[in-house]
Amino acid sequence: MKKYLVIAKWEFLEKVKTKAFLISLFLTPLIIFVFSFLPGKLAQEEDKNIKVIGILDSTQIYFQHLSEKLSSLAFDTKQPRFLVINLYKKTVSVSKLMSEANKDVLEKKIAGYIYIVQGPATKPLVEYRSLTVGNFQELDIISTSFNDVHHKIEFTKLNLDPEIISGITKSIEVKSIKVEEEGKVSDTDFLTKFMTSYVFIILLMITIISSGGMLIRSLVEEKSNRLIEILISSCSPNDLLTGKVLGLSLLSLFQVAVWLILALAFMGSSVVTFINFDNIPLILVYFILGFVLYTSLFVGVGSVVTTEQESQQLTSYLSLIILLPIVIAIPVMQNPDLLLAKIFSYFPLTSPAIMILRLNNVSIPLYEIIATLVIMLISIYITIWFSARIFRIGILSYGKIPSFKQISTWLRKG
Amino acid sequence: MFLIFKNSNMLEIINLRKEYSATTAVDDITFKAEAGKIFGLLGPNGAGKTTTIRIILDILKPTSGEVRFYGKAIDNEFLNKTGYLPEERGLYKKSRVIDIIRYFAELKNIPAAQGIASGIEWLNKFDIIQYKDRKLEELSKGNQQKIQFITSILHNPDILILDEPFSGFDPINQQIVKDILIDFVNSGKIIILSTHQMELAEKLCHEIFLIDNGKEVVSGNINEVRKRYGKNSVKVEFTGDISFVNSLPYVLELNAYNNYAEVELRENTPPNVFLQDLINRIEIRNFNIVEATLNKIFIDLIKKSEG
Repeated sequence: MKKYLVIAKWEFLEKVKTKAFLISLFLTPLIIFVFSFLPGKLAQEEDKNIKVIGILDSTQIYFQHLSEKLSSLAFDTKQPRFLVINLYKKTVSVSKLMSEANKDVLEKKIAGYIYIVQGPATKPLVEYRSLTVGNFQELDIISTSFNDVHHKIEFTKLNLDPEIISGITKSIEVKSIKVEEEGKVSDTDFLTKFMTSYVFIILLMITIISSGGMLIRSLVEEKSNRLIEILISSCSPNDLLTGKVLGLSLLSLFQVAVWLILALAFMGSSVVTFINFDNIPLILVYFILGFVLYTSLFVGVGSVVTTEQESQQLTSYLSLIILLPIVIAIPVMQNPDLLLAKIFSYFPLTSPAIMILRLNNVSIPLYEIIATLVIMLISIYITIWFSARIFRIGILSYGKIPSFKQISTWLRKG
Repeated sequence: MFLIFKNSNMLEIINLRKEYSATTAVDDITFKAEAGKIFGLLGPNGAGKTTTIRIILDILKPTSGEVRFYGKAIDNEFLNKTGYLPEERGLYKKSRVIDIIRYFAELKNIPAAQGIASGIEWLNKFDIIQYKDRKLEELSKGNQQKIQFITSILHNPDILILDEPFSGFDPINQQIVKDILIDFVNSGKIIILSTHQMELAEKLCHEIFLIDNGKEVVSGNINEVRKRYGKNSVKVEFTGDISFVNSLPYVLELNAYNNYAEVELRENTPPNVFLQDLINRIEIRNFNIVEATLNKIFIDLIKKSEG
């Protein structure tokens, strides 16, 4: 067996067996799930219980229609959303009725009530009073329903044909459609595209940080107990470098594969709808190029440090650069043709992530794709060349982190 | 095979030089280590021993000079036949003993099965076979040292380079290691032993190379070195007045106490001559010829070379 394969096999098998790896294998998807899916899911996940709401219509114009409208609304399960009760009593003053209704809300006899009063200029004032003010979904439903009813009543006053009225009042949704080359259009919605890109960027970030971290830790360990001398007296530094990068990269990709399988197993087809498969091959190309670039960068950096603390300092700086695309993801998504987005597309350290984002949102001209790929390949070549030279000398140097001047002499001599 | 061993200088180090920006770690040294002999690379800390070893093992590139094995420049094949035990010890703490053994065998191009078989043999020899499937960190320091020693010899290397091999071993295991080294050398292998423990070098080495500040101080067959640099001295226990010894022409120095004296004689004077002169003048209770220890030679030479 080639020596770099021996080393790759060792790095892979020894790390796979560690508890730390097993923990991260299952803990990371959990964290990703909690951070990325849960807030959305929770917001979507409605309270499926029927709600008792009151209507206190001091104008006596809207109650009939509004209560019909609200009562007709149902969940997917066909269960009605609201049970509507009339809180208006002719004999009691409105202020007294209100204080009673407030009491009912506080005692949770009703979820809330709609208070309608004649405002200035024939416009009614409507309030929805309840214990919480944050449930924008419920508020949205009530507000839409009220406007519907209000329009109908106003149109009826003009003696319009009910059919015309329903035609006018029907709300029309605006769809977002991306124009692609040769008039082809794709109707995948924004969220799906964003999620696809975002999932890949987060995966890229995690694989880079985890495999880069492992790489540096393993180098620091071997340096600190001089194992590196035995290794280098058994194989060439290039074998060692190749073996390590190969073994630990495979480990990270294995990790990603496990996560994808877990995701499919737990969420089944619902995850597939999240992924937009159109640009997957190109996304994978950028993913792998980004991964290789960062890993070779980590090797160069990792070979100059001697202690765990130093390695942590350096990795945290590198990790910040990796995080950059996540920070600028939203502005880039909203405006993929932004000058800044273009600049970052050509900068090798951010290029993969930004391109993954933009690929799914705008049609990128071919020349831009080729240019960024060429830039990536050249940067990878240069990084590996530099890292291998620094590695050869760095792994045998101890003490404080070398200065740039020292490293530049290594580069000339190595 | 025998002929090859006999006729070639197996490992030659020729005009080796290693410069760093401010210092010269190894300054033009030349030696050869032959099969069937233990070669002692001796010197104080920081003398350049480890740098020399690293160059031999292709860990460092020399500024100039070369290392030749059977007359050829060193290559991968050479590295596969080399075993190395560095001074600072340490292996993968979290890994199982048998996995480590297998990895190091494979790094030396030995098939996994063969490496494991050889490893088990050595574990038995050191009586630690019961730890085969344990993680290294669960073993005692001494047993970890044994594992490391095993990883340096399990591929049956032709050249074994050991940096302070006995540190960290108890006397019983020191004996086992010594026996293994003697076995190795008797089967025609090259052993380079780097140490500053002179008593040990004295017992084991056939050839020595004393290095200080990167430069050769002395080298050659150990007995010749001893003869060449050893002082000719005797210890006498006596009754009487020994001061007349100062006037003897072949006496270089006299350190006399009440009834005990150390006397250094001129190089070619047989101690017998001195004894005869003494017998007539004083009463002798004890007369000892002092063998020059390597340690003494070492200290004297280093002092001399450093002025």
